[in-house]
Amino acid sequence: MSGVQIPFSLYQNMIINILFYFFSNILLFSALMVVIVQNSIYSVLFLVCSFISAASLLFILECEFIALLFIIIYVGAIAVLFLFVVMMLDIKTINLTKNTIKYFPFGSFISIIFLFEILAIILKNFKSNPYQEKFLVNFYYNWYEKLDGLTEIEAVGQVLYTHYVLQFLVAGFILFLAVVGSIVLTITPPSKKSKSQIIYRQISRNQDSV
Amino acid sequence: MIIETVKLNEMGIFPELFFGICIIYLFLYGTFTCYNSRFNFPIIQTSISYLAILVLIMVSFLLINDCLNELNYISFNSSIANDYLSFTSKLIISLSAIVFLLMTQEHILDQKINHFEYILIFLFALLGIFLLCSSNDLIIAYLSIELQSLAFYILAAFRKNSTYSIEAGLKYFVLGAFSSGLFLFGSSLLYGISGSVNFADFKDLFFWSIPGYTTVTLQSLPLLDRFELLTNKIRLMGISQFSLSEYDCETLLTDFEYLNQYNQLDSVARAELQDLIIKTDLYNELGRYFEAGFFSQMNTPLFNERGLRLIENLDIFNYYGIMFPSFAKKSLWQAVANEAENSRLFIEFMMYDIAGEKIAMGTDSQHAHSPLCYLRILAHSISSYFNDSYPKNCRLLTVYMPYFIEPDDYQTKKYFYEHEAFDVGLLKFALTFILISLFFKLAIAPFHTWSPAVYEGSPTSTTFFFVVVPKLAIFVLLLRIFYFGFFGFIDSWRYYVIIGAISSVLVGCVAGLEQRKLKSLLAYSSISHMGYLLISFSTGSFEGIQMLLNYLIIYMISGLCVWSIFVLTRLKNNYSKKQNKDLGDLVLLHKSNNMLALILTISLFSIAGLPPTIGFLVKMSIFLSAIESSMYFAALISILFSVISAFYYIRIIKILYYEPVLVGKLYYPIATQKAFVTTLLFYSFFFFFINPTALYLMTHKTSLMF
Repeated sequence: MSGVQIPFSLYQNMIINILFYFFSNILLFSALMVVIVQNSIYSVLFLVCSFISAASLLFILECEFIALLFIIIYVGAIAVLFLFVVMMLDIKTINLTKNTIKYFPFGSFISIIFLFEILAIILKNFKSNPYQEKFLVNFYYNWYEKLDGLTEIEAVGQVLYTHYVLQFLVAGFILFLAVVGSIVLTITPPSKKSKSQIIYRQISRNQDSV
Repeated sequence: MIIETVKLNEMGIFPELFFGICIIYLFLYGTFTCYNSRFNFPIIQTSISYLAILVLIMVSFLLINDCLNELNYISFNSSIANDYLSFTSKLIISLSAIVFLLMTQEHILDQKINHFEYILIFLFALLGIFLLCSSNDLIIAYLSIELQSLAFYILAAFRKNSTYSIEAGLKYFVLGAFSSGLFLFGSSLLYGISGSVNFADFKDLFFWSIPGYTTVTLQSLPLLDRFELLTNKIRLMGISQFSLSEYDCETLLTDFEYLNQYNQLDSVARAELQDLIIKTDLYNELGRYFEAGFFSQMNTPLFNERGLRLIENLDIFNYYGIMFPSFAKKSLWQAVANEAENSRLFIEFMMYDIAGEKIAMGTDSQHAHSPLCYLRILAHSISSYFNDSYPKNCRLLTVYMPYFIEPDDYQTKKYFYEHEAFDVGLLKFALTFILISLFFKLAIAPFHTWSPAVYEGSPTSTTFFFVVVPKLAIFVLLLRIFYFGFFGFIDSWRYYVIIGAISSVLVGCVAGLEQRKLKSLLAYSSISHMGYLLISFSTGSFEGIQMLLNYLIIYMISGLCVWSIFVLTRLKNNYSKKQNKDLGDLVLLHKSNNMLALILTISLFSIAGLPPTIGFLVKMSIFLSAIESSMYFAALISILFSVISAFYYIRIIKILYYEPVLVGKLYYPIATQKAFVTTLLFYSFFFFFINPTALYLMTHKTSLMF
């Protein structure tokens, strides 16, 4: 016989593990690069990359809704805004290596303190039963009733289009108004101004003020 | 099983839906006409404005057409309330918006605001205002505030080539976003505390708090005081507090659970239930009794007889475990709804009132020591109301006790089982945040600094809208949150309201004296009026609400009149096409247009509160309602400052009539329809002074039935 048949769920677990390590390595790498890289545009792009990989990690953990929110809000709005600002401000790149070496001990000291804090919080809070000393521990929960086979997005959608349909509509109106308002405040009306030649303006312009 | 796709009695926001769809169609019309090179980019302001007026008239018809008896009191999962308050406020707002749009037509053309979107953004703001009027939920309230104020930011910044306008828009945007943030912070705290965003839930959860205490528990008071407070409170709040109880039934006991429990009953209990359902004769009688609207007849022989009979059962109170019978209420509600549709509000109230009376009589009972017991007594009184044999019903009611307290409901459990004090400090904190954010929107005095700048900078037609139309909607929201939801905490929020009221009366009167520009003068005048309104808001009585609504309606009418004259007096000389009028621009108006000067004078008299106009009556009744609820100091200060504020109104009148200059200004003639509407507004001051009953009855009904 050719050995034991490996069940499908094991493959699945393996794939998930591989994906997890892959994305978390990317996340760590790009988070590091955000700080290290000299060019600020590259830094923002690495920030986008780290957001995307964090979103993928959340996908693996089956938190689809938060993952999509990450992509929409952080990548779609905030990071692009950063990018625009960085591109507009035209920041000159300075050589930061000297400073890095100078500040390394102090920085590492602070980060070690931070690490200890995080560890303390994790060790304190991730108990097996957080309700152990609480009021609710004696109450019987039927966990089976509380489980459901819905994914998060399905659950949100089920509520969004039924219970909260009015709120959804009003939010749509707000977005419509925002689009209309931003267009109205920036559009120049189609003018029928005739083209004219103003000699002194033509003569007085130079290379900078074109 | 019948699947009902559209339930007509659920369609509480039919006018708003129509309005929203109409706005989108108007946008399509405008876009395809105005940006079309084939038509040579026409300016369609007049047609769009007439179309908007038409849409608003149809919305008003739809509003009137809404049968409030047929509609569910709350719809869209209790996020929309279709009560008389929302109906009245929406109707008034749409009428004033019609007048506003009619009046500003020529002014908009004159000021060369050629984007057709300008008027449509007003419609967006109105949609937000309508939704705000009928919101019964923090989410809807926030969204509609956002819709409204986003439209306002755009409207304030609409003149792109004017620096003042851009500055006004930006200022308004930053401060408005800040106040929205405050509102959101307060609402998220409220949600964190109570687990709900619904005003009816707030009412249910926090109605039992006692004024002056920081906890919701009832343990800390001696018996007699406690029950006197409770009963007084019930009498005070009456219908407004208890009209929403249908909602309780729906959330606590779904139809499935109802059927399930019904199947589990034995035959005797089923028979009892049927009996309970069938017994509606008394209800019908009482429903008819109340339909006439005579609330003063609470102490009629009928009630007394009932109450006396109920005292005999007082010593059976130690029956354990009866909770408020939501199930019984549901069945009864169904029975009643079939028989007497109009009486639903009154019946709920009646039950509570009887229970309250009985507790007042039976305070010596040793068992009445906790809210749980109070509810028990309530349950008992209700059950004995329908079935005079008490213990028989108890069995039925006991079955449903576990369903009232849901197993997950941590707070309820803590509240009812442990009798542990629930600290409401955080809740008051959250309430203060919400109050302050709404004060920002209303430009109440410590938070008013944006308003003169914004009012002065933005285009005049926009300022007209800001000052006149949206105030009512914010006040409706204030009423819903603080009177309907958190009346239990009146002692904590009331002080902030009084401080805001007095300081804005002060600021509005004193800082208004300095102003030379008509717009900022009217802005300060509006600030002081908001102060008067808040004084009557802080009284905490029905008269306070009634006078608040009265004053608001009259404020809107007189504001419409003054601002209409402001936008209708268009100067003829070409060089001063400035959008901002000095007081000197109206100099000697009575030489050039005597009637217009007279109308402006009378409406300013009405705003100042001089006797032959309605302004006097409503201002006086605000002070009366403040004095009735023992707020002597606030009443005194506001009366004194209203005398001071009369100065700058009268100064305008002096400029109109007696300015020592030889030549006045010349104005364009006023179109007939606009003159007609202005005259109507002018006559309404005298009409309501001679016959204020119509106004007072309407607002009385509104204050009773929200």
